[in-house]
Amino acid sequence: MATQFRIVSLPVQGMTCASCVSHVETALKELNGTSDVVVNLATNKASLAYDPARLTLTDMVRAVSDVGYSVPATELTLEVRGMTCASCVAHVEGALKELEGVISAVVNLGLNTARVTYISGVVTTSAMKRAVRDVGYEAQERSEGADALDRERQAREDEIKRQGRNLLIAGGVGVIVMIGTFYDMLGPLQAFVPQWLSYKWVIGLLTTPIVLGPGRQFFTNSWRGLTHGVTDMNLLYATGIGAAYGIAVINTVFPSAGFGGEGATFFESAALLTAFIILGRWLEALTRGRTSEAIRKLMKLQPKIARVIRNDKEEEIPADEVEIDDLILVRPGESIPVDGIVKEGYSAVDESMLTGESLPVEKKTGDNVIGGTLNKTGAFKFNATRVGKDTALAQIIKLVEDAQASKAPIQKLADWVAGHFILGVHMLAVAVFVFWFFIGFQLFFDPNSSFILSPYKLGEIGVFGFSLLLSVTVLVISCPCAVGLATPSAIMAGTGKAAEHGVLLKAAEAIENASKLQTIVFDKTGTLTKGEPSVTDVVISKQSAVISSTDHRSLTADHLLRYAAIAEKNSEHPLGEAIVRGAQARGLTLVDTESFNSIPGQGVEAKVERLNVLLGNRKLMHERSVDICELAQEAERLEGDGKTVMFVAVEGQAAGLIAVADTLKEYAAEAVHHLHRLGIETAMITGDNRRTAEAIARQVGIDRVLAEVLPQDKALEVKKLQALGKKVAMVGDGVNDAPALAQADVGMAIGSGTDVAKETGDVILIKDDIRDVVVALEVAKATMRKVKQNLFWAFVYNTLGIPLGAGLFYPFISLIISPELAGLMMAISSVSVTLNTLLLKGFKPSMRREDKPQQGKGQPAPQLATAHGD
Amino acid sequence: MEHEEVEKEVARKSALIYLPISLGVALLFLLVATVFGNYPLVAKIGGTIWVGLLSLIVSMPIVTARIKRLRSPSS
Repeated sequence: MATQFRIVSLPVQGMTCASCVSHVETALKELNGTSDVVVNLATNKASLAYDPARLTLTDMVRAVSDVGYSVPATELTLEVRGMTCASCVAHVEGALKELEGVISAVVNLGLNTARVTYISGVVTTSAMKRAVRDVGYEAQERSEGADALDRERQAREDEIKRQGRNLLIAGGVGVIVMIGTFYDMLGPLQAFVPQWLSYKWVIGLLTTPIVLGPGRQFFTNSWRGLTHGVTDMNLLYATGIGAAYGIAVINTVFPSAGFGGEGATFFESAALLTAFIILGRWLEALTRGRTSEAIRKLMKLQPKIARVIRNDKEEEIPADEVEIDDLILVRPGESIPVDGIVKEGYSAVDESMLTGESLPVEKKTGDNVIGGTLNKTGAFKFNATRVGKDTALAQIIKLVEDAQASKAPIQKLADWVAGHFILGVHMLAVAVFVFWFFIGFQLFFDPNSSFILSPYKLGEIGVFGFSLLLSVTVLVISCPCAVGLATPSAIMAGTGKAAEHGVLLKAAEAIENASKLQTIVFDKTGTLTKGEPSVTDVVISKQSAVISSTDHRSLTADHLLRYAAIAEKNSEHPLGEAIVRGAQARGLTLVDTESFNSIPGQGVEAKVERLNVLLGNRKLMHERSVDICELAQEAERLEGDGKTVMFVAVEGQAAGLIAVADTLKEYAAEAVHHLHRLGIETAMITGDNRRTAEAIARQVGIDRVLAEVLPQDKALEVKKLQALGKKVAMVGDGVNDAPALAQADVGMAIGSGTDVAKETGDVILIKDDIRDVVVALEVAKATMRKVKQNLFWAFVYNTLGIPLGAGLFYPFISLIISPELAGLMMAISSVSVTLNTLLLKGFKPSMRREDKPQQGKGQPAPQLATAHGD
Repeated sequence: MEHEEVEKEVARKSALIYLPISLGVALLFLLVATVFGNYPLVAKIGGTIWVGLLSLIVSMPIVTARIKRLRSPSS
């Protein structure tokens, strides 16, 4: 039996850096029955697939806590109505405990409550309420509990507040410590500072609460990690702070111990190092809060309340309790709670927040409405068709969340480096210590040397103190603190920015691939063109001897069009539908065919009123030995205008031809022009004949034409381009062009509307606007630029700092970096990454919605011609 | 419970390896500092403790991860 893997997204608390990510990933991967484990620092989530037959959530939670982190559990109290006895209690508890994600459920019969402990993100409150309803009871939340958005925001705010408090204490007291340490250098300012502040004992007493208060998190986290055999950046900080503080205490209490004496008390190192590292942590917490704004904005669109009509009575219920087929009333100014179909009423709905349509869309009976959009003018009732996680809005949120949780290949490399870096740093610290202890101090030590940016002399420090100082500085300065955030923060900002413009990037890998594209292939019909062709010309063959079966006269244009339309009556092909529409527009009566056969890639044959009718391209006519020479010139002329020509043969003789044309989409030429400016080669793929395809391509500015391609061969054409060594994107219909989209390095499904779940492809363009291809590319490039910049800022301080921190230049300049300066540099690297990521918020695509199509740059769309023979 | 016992066994076996390694490195440092050079006792002891601590930090996760992998059924 095939294993049914389930996908789960677990919240993980306690991660602070890339090596934490690495440890959690390893712990989950080591479990039997997991696959595709991805841990994201920016979203604090671990996403994985697991086999429920081999593994439970409890096993995963334990694996995470074994390596020193936690999966937070949330508590919720439900009011349960309808319970009367102990067996009711057992039923309700059993129903809740069966839900994946529920850790415990305790029902109190006397209070009519069920207290549930669960993992947020794995199970929802609506699922719990539904489970209780399914066993025959009613449940609702006891109080207006926070929804997922509020909980998530609350958790982030708590973290920001916690680190902010730590920063205030560590920073505030640290400044006082610094003033006391440098008392002798204050000059005239000494008048404002009490002398006792400079006493080592006092400085020690001030530093102690910093190290044991705000600094305690580093010691507890590293001890927890070490006892589970893992190392992370907390260890670097704990070792550095602990060593500086420890030596300072020894030199204060036992100045003659030989560790450098009173002149080598580095309390300010311990204090300021703690403060600067916490500054970095606080900034990271802020960044994580800001960059998930896109999700927050989308989540805010989800209405909380729905007005349901049940038993002819209006009831206001939580929106997540709406069931399919419920009749819902929406008044002017209200948000539509779920997806549905209008049953009665009429209104205009603002769908701009989801689809980007700037004008309100009219809705009448039978029209679809989307949950999260805003009803403007009228009141109407509609039947719910999609609720809960199936609504368009929920699908979009999930897609953006999944994208933000995913990892780009470049990030996997950065995480791997950071994860292995910690051990390497400790080895380096040993090497630095040993070198300076045995060799360097004797050869190079200068009693007049000092710290960079400090007049503090190192004269009394001694061999051990000096070597330890350099070793500790190397530990601190090597820490790649910002690496863990560099890529995910940029990816979050980028996916959020794209979502604002109706471009949904499904995974971080899609962003990285999109930024490297060299060729973009457009499907023609429905992508570059509007996909609604119409009949432009009907030409009768002058040499045709075909007689109409109805009036026994020579065929006219109407006869020809009618026969063709009857043959195509049940066709789903856009060209066939165009012929049917053209015949109906002329008032021609369409009867059923007597027989019908579709020949893929060529046309159709049918028996119409006892006549054998063939309708299709040149290939079909040649195969059936129909002589179309007389029509060839006219066909070429029409194809040269970009029209698609279909030949009609009746009883084996060429009867005439019908020309059909589709109009180009607005902005098609401009979009292609912008892509050329980005250095992208453009191609068009179509089943049309080459002449027609090239005419369209000329109008739009396409570089390469792939014509006469059968639908099943589109993926092959994409593969051929890839075989030339190109990175290829395919833009087309997410359902019909699925194989080609899947084959491409980046598949872009355009005009998906809001049913995003069924779309194949790495990028989903919600609106039917070709400009969004340019937007997708530009956002991807901007995001990857940001990723690379962030990685640069994250690593540059380490790269430059390690030689300095290890004392490589000391023999020449007699200066070394103090541990607290090293800590400040690490905090600055976090600041740099944070600020750099926030700059992405100001990104604007080069093709904007309010821009009008420019005349003269691209070719105008072809005008429809009237049919000949009218 | 079984999982916890496995974790304890891994921790115990790992400790039997990384503790002697770090101690050995620390003592090697002390030996070199004593034999080659005229260092104050405090410097030698301080250096021994620091090198021992860093060696412990380096060896502990390497050894623990290796023992875990050897013990894992999929290895």
